[in-house]
Amino acid sequence: MEGIRKEFPGVLALDDVGLEVESGEVHVILGENGAGKSTLMKILSGAHGKDAGRIFLDGREVEIDGPRRARELGVGIIYQELSLAPTLSGAENVFLGREPRRLPGLVDRAAMEEAARAILDGLGAAFDVRRPVRDLSLAERQLVEIARALSLDARILVMDEPTSALTDREAQALFDTMRRMTSRGVAIIYISHRLQEIYDVGDRVTVLRDGRRVATLDVAGSDRRELVRLMANREVDELVTRRPSALGAELLRVEGLRRAAELRDVSFTLHEGEVVGFAGLLGSGRTAVARALFGLDPVDAGRIQVRGRPTSIGSPRDAIRSGMGLVTEDRKRQGLVLSLSVRENISLPVLQSLSRFGVVDARSERELASRYATDLRIRTPSIEQVTLNLSGGNQQKVVLAKWLACHVDILILDEPTRGIDVGAKQEIYALMERLTAEGVGIVLISSELPEIVGLCDRVLVMRGGAVVGTFERGVSQEEILSSAVGVAS
Amino acid sequence: MRSARWSTWIAIAAVLAGPFAWACNRGDDAGGGTTVALVLKTLNNPFFIELAAGAQEAADSLGIELLVQAPDREIDVEKQMQIIENLLQTDIDALALTPSGSREVVPAIAEANRAEVPVLIVDTRADAEALAAAGATVATFIGSDNVEGGRIAGRFVAEALGGEGNVAVIEGIPGHETGDSRLRGFREAISEYPGISIVASQTANWERDQAFNVTQNMLQSHSDLRAIFAANDVMALGAVEAVASAGRTGDLVVVGFDAQDEAVAAIREGAMSASIAQHPREMGRIAVESAWKILQGDSVPAEQPVSIELVTE
Amino acid sequence: MRREFGTLAGLLVLCMALWIATPHFLTTANLLNVVEQSTLIGIIAVGMTFVILTAGIDLSVGSIVALSGVAMGTAFRAGLPIFAAALTGLAVGLACGLANGALITLGRLPPFIATLGMMSIARGGALMLSDGRPISGYSDGFRALATGDLLGIPLPVVIMLAIYGIAHFVLSRTTLGRYTYAIGGNEEAAELSGIRVRAYKSAVYGIAGLLSAVTSILLVARLDSAQPIAGIMYELDAIAAVVIGGTSLLGGSGSVIGTLIGALIMGVLRNGLNLLGVSSYLQQVAIGGVIIVAVLMDMALRRRARLPTE
Repeated sequence: MEGIRKEFPGVLALDDVGLEVESGEVHVILGENGAGKSTLMKILSGAHGKDAGRIFLDGREVEIDGPRRARELGVGIIYQELSLAPTLSGAENVFLGREPRRLPGLVDRAAMEEAARAILDGLGAAFDVRRPVRDLSLAERQLVEIARALSLDARILVMDEPTSALTDREAQALFDTMRRMTSRGVAIIYISHRLQEIYDVGDRVTVLRDGRRVATLDVAGSDRRELVRLMANREVDELVTRRPSALGAELLRVEGLRRAAELRDVSFTLHEGEVVGFAGLLGSGRTAVARALFGLDPVDAGRIQVRGRPTSIGSPRDAIRSGMGLVTEDRKRQGLVLSLSVRENISLPVLQSLSRFGVVDARSERELASRYATDLRIRTPSIEQVTLNLSGGNQQKVVLAKWLACHVDILILDEPTRGIDVGAKQEIYALMERLTAEGVGIVLISSELPEIVGLCDRVLVMRGGAVVGTFERGVSQEEILSSAVGVAS
Repeated sequence: MRSARWSTWIAIAAVLAGPFAWACNRGDDAGGGTTVALVLKTLNNPFFIELAAGAQEAADSLGIELLVQAPDREIDVEKQMQIIENLLQTDIDALALTPSGSREVVPAIAEANRAEVPVLIVDTRADAEALAAAGATVATFIGSDNVEGGRIAGRFVAEALGGEGNVAVIEGIPGHETGDSRLRGFREAISEYPGISIVASQTANWERDQAFNVTQNMLQSHSDLRAIFAANDVMALGAVEAVASAGRTGDLVVVGFDAQDEAVAAIREGAMSASIAQHPREMGRIAVESAWKILQGDSVPAEQPVSIELVTE
Repeated sequence: MRREFGTLAGLLVLCMALWIATPHFLTTANLLNVVEQSTLIGIIAVGMTFVILTAGIDLSVGSIVALSGVAMGTAFRAGLPIFAAALTGLAVGLACGLANGALITLGRLPPFIATLGMMSIARGGALMLSDGRPISGYSDGFRALATGDLLGIPLPVVIMLAIYGIAHFVLSRTTLGRYTYAIGGNEEAAELSGIRVRAYKSAVYGIAGLLSAVTSILLVARLDSAQPIAGIMYELDAIAAVVIGGTSLLGGSGSVIGTLIGALIMGVLRNGLNLLGVSSYLQQVAIGGVIIVAVLMDMALRRRARLPTE
């Protein structure tokens, strides 16, 4: 790719960007959100047209004028935003539009399911390919998406943050598959925010910043801090740490929480200034704890005390009234109303208190929203900007601002840094430190072991809906992982 | 994206161009400068299409322009009033009207009066009481005697059954003057034959498919049914189909009203027994000719009955 | 606001075309006619805008017009003073709307199905209550609602504009309005923000029912008759006005200003086609064409608004 340029109304997304990918290599594209990574890949896969520049394949210039053309040329892509048909099964999604036929018009279901099974086995996935995709977890859906691209026999495969919803084990299985593919001569373009992964699978790395190429380096000879500096053009401490705060009174006491097979006797406490982490594999029940606490799913048994008072929580409204806030793992589906502005999202839970007789006091709403937008350094042209147009990190900050504006004292964070860039992650860590210093208690659910280890005062490891291990600050990643997969360390 | 916007404008232009081009073409052959508007109940019933055709013939031979308009649905009196109001904004000289609602249309007639546009009522009467209350006037009424038509149908059924048997009635939309009059006439005639009783009477809202369903249900619940009278042919034809699908064609006497082409064909084939012929073409012709006379300053009778007759072959 | 400008431009282009095509269009009397003729669909479309903003749909509004009108007529005939009879009509409309809301939120029925059922129930109820016959004979004082004017502006127009003013205020300045947008934009996120989604959704359908009843009162006053067959297909005209006005059927974005312009476009189009003496058949084609073009335009604007979101 040579001299690629793309302009969106008001934004120059790519400016004279070049990229060379060799067959058989894993080429990592690195850059903060908004650097132009996804746009570049969308041009390569035909989803966007380009304003200038040329694309060569095997030395010949090619014109990619649509996704279909890209597929014919052997370019496959796995998008960050999942694009599956929710009511169809996993196998049907893998082969959507290319179903194996016995007779014209008659799908060979058995062959299709077998083929899908084979690909997913190769990825180390064990779920039933006949289940509709809407019943699968986010990680399982992502595996279906990856399987679909793999089934296309692509010569160039673009992966846009494929591991952001995967557990370490699943990610490792994916890396193995990637290595097998590159040994067959397939070129993989890999987009990720996780620096560690670059060293796990990458051969070369190209860093983009603000729509320009900053550098292309061999992974082997590069230094982590150097990469981060190139990306952000500022020194960012990649280490995940939080200064512990003095613990105060008990905020939350959960005893014997049960819900069908999802939650088995979960008990824990949370104090002022404390961060309690929930670790575990996907489906181990971490998110079920959050949902139960926030009144989203009814529980079969269990008691919840807030500040020592028994509290019954039957709806998110009850949870918010008792001082809780929930940042969900899927911010686009559950966290934000994307069609509303930054201001309107921030004020949503507190709108009643900003209103008299149902009429919103526009001035105090604006003041509130700008205060938190500034406080959390939400990068947006104005608080009237529609949240759809913000980057992932800034969207997440809006979700956080919403709860800070509520003055919650129990904050539940479910994968708060998923899919957001290094800079924004650091800001969120700093925010957690500040909040705990102010006496807020935080429940942190994360698949990022460095976050669990670096940020939490206490770590609960879950497996099969039960808490199987409790660790204090200072625990190692290996100990947690062993406990999560059920291996004695 | 700019192209998207252009294509939208082009599409808008194309959508608008059609009606405009049509209107311009009309303008060319408009002659003498006299315009008569004919506002009907609907244009998806052959009866009114015939009526419009008769009016058009008369307009052509007199060299006056005729505008025919109607709401999409026969019963939409509100839209019919809007059409009248809109037409009154143009230079129409006379208004011929088949009211969708006898009472409801009166304010529009009053508005025409204020605009000094003479109003000729065709086929369905305007409510006399409401006219008086609103101080509105109409120049003439041109239409069949629906009560008499109903009587003729009733007598035919009674004689065909030899004065004995069970009869069902399919009504139009309740509250419509034409339908109510036909049914009144029919019941009047039947009441003179003690051996005949009306065992079922239901509405099919002037619609063929509804009449089919209603008839099927009636045949189910009254196996001894011997005759069906429908307040118009559209519904009678629906009844004919239901009778046929029950395998009872020729066994039941089915009588309709209007004698439209399809019904006459069904009578010839023996699937239907009779219909009452109105002469919608004649109504249309008289309406336009009366409008012309009024505009010339001549007088026309307040009532202009159009003949009706029984069609059995 | 930009989207309303687009719709407004469409309206102006349409008016300009008609001004060129016929001398009868641009007269005070005719323009007043157009606005007055747009009032009935216009008022229903306000309620429909609320419903569609929540990503719902209400197919029962036309039937509710009939039922509340007939309820009012029956009450009047039973000897209630006209004011009380009108209140009865309003109460019936509100009750039907709230019943829709309950079916959707408590019964968890899709709005399409719940209101489809109500469409039939209310129509049947209107026919039963009236025995299929129109109920007429109201006082001149009551009929003035439709025939009277305020400073030369017909009363129905004044009432419609007042309703639009209130609705615009509610949507832009009140919690109810904000929650309407939030629920339509992302119901799950709204629920998670502690909004009583069920209550607000029910309220929105209640508003739609109430405004249908307001329309029915104006219609009864205009026709001097409460008809059980009134309002057939009004729901489709109202939906068309809302959609032409740029409110997305997916919910979460749109405005009543756009809807007002949309209702006027429908009114101007019908009026213009009548003035031009265009055949009734072709009129339906033209109206359908405009609805489709308006939605195409809306979709194009939507794509334009989707800036890079990496």
